[in-house]
Amino acid sequence: MGLLRYTLWRFAQAIPVLVGIVTITFFLANQIPGDPVEIMLGPTPAQEQVEAIRARYGLDRPLYERYLTYLAGVATGDLGQSIYFDRPVAEMILLRLPVTLLLMVSAFAFAIVTAIPLGVLSAKRRNEPADHVSRVVSLVGVSTPSFWIGLVLIIVFAFYLGWFPARGLVLPWADPADVRGAATRLAVLRQSAHHLFLPMIALGTLQMAQIARIERSSMVDSLQGEYVTLARAYGVPESTIVRKHAFQVAQLPVITIVGLGLSTALGGAVLTETVFEIQGMGRLIITAINNQDYELIMGTTLVFGFVYVVGVIVTDVAYSYLDPRVTYGDD
Amino acid sequence: MIDMAQTPSPTDDTEESTGGPADVEARVGLRYTLRQVRRDTTARIGTLIVGVMTLVAVIAALDYYLLQYAIAETVLYNPETDPETVRRLLPPVGMENQFGPGVIEHPLGTDHRGRDLLTRVVYGTRVAMTVGFMATGIGLVGGTLVGAVSGYYGGRVDDVLQRITETIYAIPFLVLVIAFMTAFGRDLTFAMIGVGITAIPVFNRLIRSRVVSIREEDYVEAARAAGVKDRNIILRHIIPNSFAPVLVQATLQVGVSILIVAGLSFLGFGAQPPTPSWGQMLSASRGYMLPAPTFSLWPGFAILITVIGFNILGDGLQDALDPRINN
Repeated sequence: MGLLRYTLWRFAQAIPVLVGIVTITFFLANQIPGDPVEIMLGPTPAQEQVEAIRARYGLDRPLYERYLTYLAGVATGDLGQSIYFDRPVAEMILLRLPVTLLLMVSAFAFAIVTAIPLGVLSAKRRNEPADHVSRVVSLVGVSTPSFWIGLVLIIVFAFYLGWFPARGLVLPWADPADVRGAATRLAVLRQSAHHLFLPMIALGTLQMAQIARIERSSMVDSLQGEYVTLARAYGVPESTIVRKHAFQVAQLPVITIVGLGLSTALGGAVLTETVFEIQGMGRLIITAINNQDYELIMGTTLVFGFVYVVGVIVTDVAYSYLDPRVTYGDD
Repeated sequence: MIDMAQTPSPTDDTEESTGGPADVEARVGLRYTLRQVRRDTTARIGTLIVGVMTLVAVIAALDYYLLQYAIAETVLYNPETDPETVRRLLPPVGMENQFGPGVIEHPLGTDHRGRDLLTRVVYGTRVAMTVGFMATGIGLVGGTLVGAVSGYYGGRVDDVLQRITETIYAIPFLVLVIAFMTAFGRDLTFAMIGVGITAIPVFNRLIRSRVVSIREEDYVEAARAAGVKDRNIILRHIIPNSFAPVLVQATLQVGVSILIVAGLSFLGFGAQPPTPSWGQMLSASRGYMLPAPTFSLWPGFAILITVIGFNILGDGLQDALDPRINN
């Protein structure tokens, strides 16, 4: 099986899980106390108004029928209408999802760039001071709540030192005319990086710590491999052994942990967006909940699930691409 | 024959033996675990932190439920101030003592409502530890049941149960708990249940893989041939044999649960004011980061120390119980 077919096959396999996500989301949303019509129209609406709204949103039909309609809607990309924003849910999500993805991608980039050298150094200098420092850093990293890191970063780097802005985000693809103090594309990008720096660290620290831990143990294992002993016996320099022989094999568990970390990071994005007042998917779901916007709650929840599933498939495909032993599912 | 799985062998020098069946049997069970933990420095530090935090939580709970803040009052007693202010510690007491400096009666200062920060951080331990243990317990029991049944019976049962847990796992857990709490209730009980449910897939996966490998072992075959009921085989052989990895996972999971619940409280889901919880204190501190930066510091430190404790203990247990490592 080729890589493309393998990818498509993994997506096909994910369909039951995606349907499951829609099902869980739909039935959870149906448990939410309160009447959406009442929220729309106030406590004492006219009877015909209520019926009109019920008919318009299909609330007068039985539960299973609404579920099937919703499922069919999701399959065609129709997630319903947001009551609070008075716009289609899909439109709101398309507006906010890139913001969250930008935050996620930069957090993982930060995590990988810092964690891999840290883990390799730790494994190379096993049980030396450098290793102890790096292990303490990872331990603190996995034990610190991301939103607290965000708060501390804001206090130190935004309020006291004034190096970075405390809130908001300038999108790199924003029109320079819409961004204050930015005349050119380059200025927009600079502002964007400036805004992104603190949230990126807040969200990425946990991932950094987790990747560094795996990188260390994976490198320790791989440095004890027979082929490494053989390379040493042949007189290959130690730096070449680390760089060429041990490193590549050691990256496979790292890819797995990046995939698993996506779930934590998506949750962390909700918190990071709250701390830094960034208008992404996280703020959207909180706004939806606080305003009892049912369709928006359902839409955002299941998009979070979909993003995670797609992320896991991407890491799976990356894994099979990098690991020569994996044969794309056929034996 | 039936009981040999969960009875640890009483020999003391297990790590010198060479991995025979008796050695494997000795590597399960509580007594063996405790002995190994005593030898491992990391595990000892972890035990110490977790022990101290649990004690603090128990004292805070006793003080709250039985003594009506008697301990908080005694510890913070200052003849120059009205003891009544301490009695009114948890409900708001107004703004007159906002962000008091860290003098003797308020070592960490006060919060935006003039309440003593140290007492609130200490009382927050109660919420965090309760939630951490309860949520992990729910995940452990649920995951063990699902995993054991799924792995033992296999086939259709396995397929259905695994697809369901996979789906639960596929929604980022913070988002899932938020949706769950929106549907059922925003207080601490539902936070515990919600976080517990998200932990089910973790334990399920662990137990199921153990069960699948143990199912084919000779002594399980023998028990089945002897007519022991499935339920008894699962309870008496399979679950005790999965003790070590589950214990490690459960310890780490308490830390994870504390982090998630702190995050939930930060977003307004969980312990409702005036009950002090670390996440909610951090949320309140957001409005005062410039005038009172230390307000944001202490609850965060409390979370950090507690979670580090569970992580160190979990890592230490893993090393102590890993048959591949000789310490």
